[in-house]
Amino acid sequence: MTTLTDRYIWAVTRSVPEQQRSDIERELRASIDDDIEARGGDIATAERETLLALGDPDRLAASYAQRPAMLIGPKYFFDYVRLLRVLYAIVLPITVVAVAAAHVIARDGIGEIIGGSIVAGITIGAHLGFWTTLVFAVIERTDAARTAPLTEWKPESLPQIPDRRAGTGLAELIPAVVFLPFFAGAIVWQQLSSVFQDAAGAPVPLLRPELWSFWIPYTFVLIALELVFAVVLYRLQRWTWPMAIVNVLLNLAFMIPATWLVLQDRVFNPVFTAELGFPDGLGAAVLAPVMVLVFLGAGIGDAADGIVKARRASLASR
Amino acid sequence: MDPDVSGTHLQELRRGTVVLACLVVLRTPDYGYSLLERLNELGFAVDANTLYPLLRRLESQGLLSSDWNTDQARPRKFYSTSDAGNELAAVLIADWGNLHRSITNLDEGEAR
Repeated sequence: MTTLTDRYIWAVTRSVPEQQRSDIERELRASIDDDIEARGGDIATAERETLLALGDPDRLAASYAQRPAMLIGPKYFFDYVRLLRVLYAIVLPITVVAVAAAHVIARDGIGEIIGGSIVAGITIGAHLGFWTTLVFAVIERTDAARTAPLTEWKPESLPQIPDRRAGTGLAELIPAVVFLPFFAGAIVWQQLSSVFQDAAGAPVPLLRPELWSFWIPYTFVLIALELVFAVVLYRLQRWTWPMAIVNVLLNLAFMIPATWLVLQDRVFNPVFTAELGFPDGLGAAVLAPVMVLVFLGAGIGDAADGIVKARRASLASR
Repeated sequence: MDPDVSGTHLQELRRGTVVLACLVVLRTPDYGYSLLERLNELGFAVDANTLYPLLRRLESQGLLSSDWNTDQARPRKFYSTSDAGNELAAVLIADWGNLHRSITNLDEGEAR
């Protein structure tokens, strides 16, 4: 008959290294028997009390095998949190935008684009968390000899103190990383899939197709440069005069051609505006001033914002 | 005084004294359960599930040596302090003495 003691010993020794197993088993059995004997009285009660005092067999086994009783210990905890933070702040938004762009290129409907992006965001988020945790848990269990964390800390790696007025952080980076690719995707989408179809069933794009020969690729290059700019700004942690000047140039590079093209009525596809119900020419007459105001307002506002923040940062660092 | 708080601090202060107590007590060879009883009688509160793995750890570090005694009906693993264990015990005792002196001086200095 198997006793509680047999079962307890089995539960402890099954997960200790094999070469120690029989030795631990013999010793533990002797210790338990000694304890039961010393307690005296009813054997079943004494056995119960002895095993209760020894506690959870998994805990005792971990103690024998010198295994950590935690998933990720203090040694690697901060490396782990830092890596997760980077993954969720940068990798997750970029991959979600890439998935959305893939849906756009595949000419999917707007519902599919949004739905697909949300599903991809949840799936990728779960994968990032799971695999990172798994890798760290494995390191925790295999690299017992290591006493230092994975990344050596140096005073140089201290973060800049964010200046509340001039500072720049994730609040500025994330909109850029999300909206710039979204804007690029929208340009592709309006060409491939529109709300209007012509007689042959082909989509009617919002923008004039001849813009693809130069101005749309030009816009894509600007979007890429804006993305690089946003990342560099985030790494710098603060506005500087060179950054403010580059920002002004980038805004001018968009504002001037965009205004010029709108005023020449070279932006919107007349077939599209006709479908909207605008009589010939009225589309340009109504839309053009609004567009120009939006371009100039947003561009000048953004350029001025950079200059003001650079000035504050240079005053603050004095 | 909050008993939870004082309990944690006492536990932290006593951590490590069990190792020293084992090294000293095991100058006379002894086996797990008997050692547990002796330590508790001597005033070192230690649980079985802490002591048994600790003995094996000290053995793997070469501070204790062990021998199976199969003369009696119940075979028992006897541990005894090795030379390295005695050296470590001497270091720990010296440090304990220093700490005791420092704390005493500090306490008397404060009282003045």
